[in-house]
Amino acid sequence: MPGKSLSRWTMAWFGSALLFLLGACAMALFGLAGPGEWSRGAGMAVVHLFVLGWLCQVMLGALIQFVPVLAARPLAFPGLALPALAFSSAGIMALAAGFLTLDGHEALRPLFLLGPFSIGAAFMLVAVTVGATVLHRACLRLAEVRLVVLAMVALSGLWLSGAVMALTLAGTRIAVDLTEALPLHMLLGLGGWLSLAAFGVSYKLFAMFLLAPEQGGMVRRAVFLTAVLVVALALWALCLLLAGRSGGRAVSVAIGLVPALTMIYLGEITRLWRSRRRPVPEANMLWSRMGLLFLALAALLIVPGWQFGGVWAEAAVFVALVGWLSLLTLAQMVKIVSFLTWVQIFAPRIGRQPVPVVQKLSDARAVASGLAFWSVGTVVGCLALLLGSSGGFLFAVLLLTLGALGVMRELIAIRHLSHLEPAERPACLPHLVLPFTFSRARAEARS
Amino acid sequence: MTPPDPSRPDPLELDIRLILQRGEEPFGAIMAAVDALAKGQALRLLAPFRPAPLFGVMANHGFGCEDRQRADGVWEVLFTPAPGFGPEAGMAPGSTPGAGLWPDPARELDLTGLMPPEPMVRILEEITALAPGEVLFALLDREPMFLFPELAQRGHEWAGNFAPSGDVYRLLIRAGVGDD
Repeated sequence: MPGKSLSRWTMAWFGSALLFLLGACAMALFGLAGPGEWSRGAGMAVVHLFVLGWLCQVMLGALIQFVPVLAARPLAFPGLALPALAFSSAGIMALAAGFLTLDGHEALRPLFLLGPFSIGAAFMLVAVTVGATVLHRACLRLAEVRLVVLAMVALSGLWLSGAVMALTLAGTRIAVDLTEALPLHMLLGLGGWLSLAAFGVSYKLFAMFLLAPEQGGMVRRAVFLTAVLVVALALWALCLLLAGRSGGRAVSVAIGLVPALTMIYLGEITRLWRSRRRPVPEANMLWSRMGLLFLALAALLIVPGWQFGGVWAEAAVFVALVGWLSLLTLAQMVKIVSFLTWVQIFAPRIGRQPVPVVQKLSDARAVASGLAFWSVGTVVGCLALLLGSSGGFLFAVLLLTLGALGVMRELIAIRHLSHLEPAERPACLPHLVLPFTFSRARAEARS
Repeated sequence: MTPPDPSRPDPLELDIRLILQRGEEPFGAIMAAVDALAKGQALRLLAPFRPAPLFGVMANHGFGCEDRQRADGVWEVLFTPAPGFGPEAGMAPGSTPGAGLWPDPARELDLTGLMPPEPMVRILEEITALAPGEVLFALLDREPMFLFPELAQRGHEWAGNFAPSGDVYRLLIRAGVGDD
């Protein structure tokens, strides 16, 4: 790749994440997950393939790519990206297989113990590369960088809570109260790590794609301070849990703060949206706005979810994972992949020959139909969970799978520069997933 | 030949012949190696040709160079960090030192309010049209992180920072001789 602002392994992280997404969808289509099925081993395997394999991997890959842009300095230790990806993919598969121990597959027990440590090694490697890049006084003044650092702190708590839960379920001598640990684990993962990292990255990406002035000020500080409080309470509850005491009250207060945190963040993004200089936002932003609506819905569902548990909690978590985080990710991924592909292929040609505009690399209608399937799937899935309908949930998963396949097809078309005229296409196409030169013979055959 | 300095670590060696043989661009690997250098460590580069365009780029990063062709035809270049080199106060990391002494800009561009990567396209088109040594000044909404490697690769020098208000990025670029 030309230039060091492009991470060599971004497409590999994205590719791996998308394969995990398809794997989770396929397992759910076979009926291994659904209303009331989440405490079974197979159900937990599906949830972890989705959350760790899809959402965490895509976020880690995006951070490795975008932390240099956020911090305006080159990535430290770029060589750690590949081993981190290898440890994380292997660890997630081991953990998912390990969960099947709970369904009686005893032979898989060693994987249950191995998975968390492999995932932990991956998290540690990414933390080193991201931390060494951003931990400078000048960078930490930036609100988006501080949120990403806070998200990484929550990630460490997510891992620790997950690891002790896995060790408890695997029947080792380490044992914690799982009914206390589960809401804490979900709070650290969903509200702490994934959402805060998404908040931090969105500040930069939204301002860039909407041509809105980069804001700071009181509201952004309020988001950060509320987020610090949520993460600190969650980590305090984790310490109490590990000490064998109850951290339920701290978790209650932290979960109570999440709707407030969400509303302040959404208020700020609304202001940013209104101050944009781009009159008609592009598809990635319009669908991200839909993701933000799902975030608001998830924040509303948290209240009955925490109060009554059961289907309300299932629906709140589902809308947050599938509607908010995944839709935002899918919508922005199309734009990011287009942009990185364009920089990789066409930046060296600027001023020397005509170059196509970035928008020509993707087909906006194909992207929109994939994301529409995904959004309808989210609404159907939420209703199916609230009504306890397995058939409805299966239909939702079918819609989500079709949406994911549509977006993936488009991502492959972007990498293959399929939407360009033959004359605009270079002789050597970019790599699809792994950073090796694409076969020249095939590239020439296409042009 | 200078005697080895015991306080300096051994040079890091990077052989770009294999990268070139694969038909890949070695610039990213070279910059990654520069990032990986310890304080005071030199970089020894092995190349099938004399990598002259790199000398200016490395000088901007604060490296002096010594090159020689070995008996087997391979070019061996030793890039040694110059003592006391560092970014000037208030300038973004990677900025060329001494930009204050450059001539007045021959071209000024206001690229605020443009969607990425349009500012990058405009700058590269304009800088290609300038004579070597001429300077371009651009105002941008944000730091153009994807532009910098491209400028370095084409042999242009740059220096930039945010205005004190923080809402506009000021960028000076001096056209190099390498771009056509």
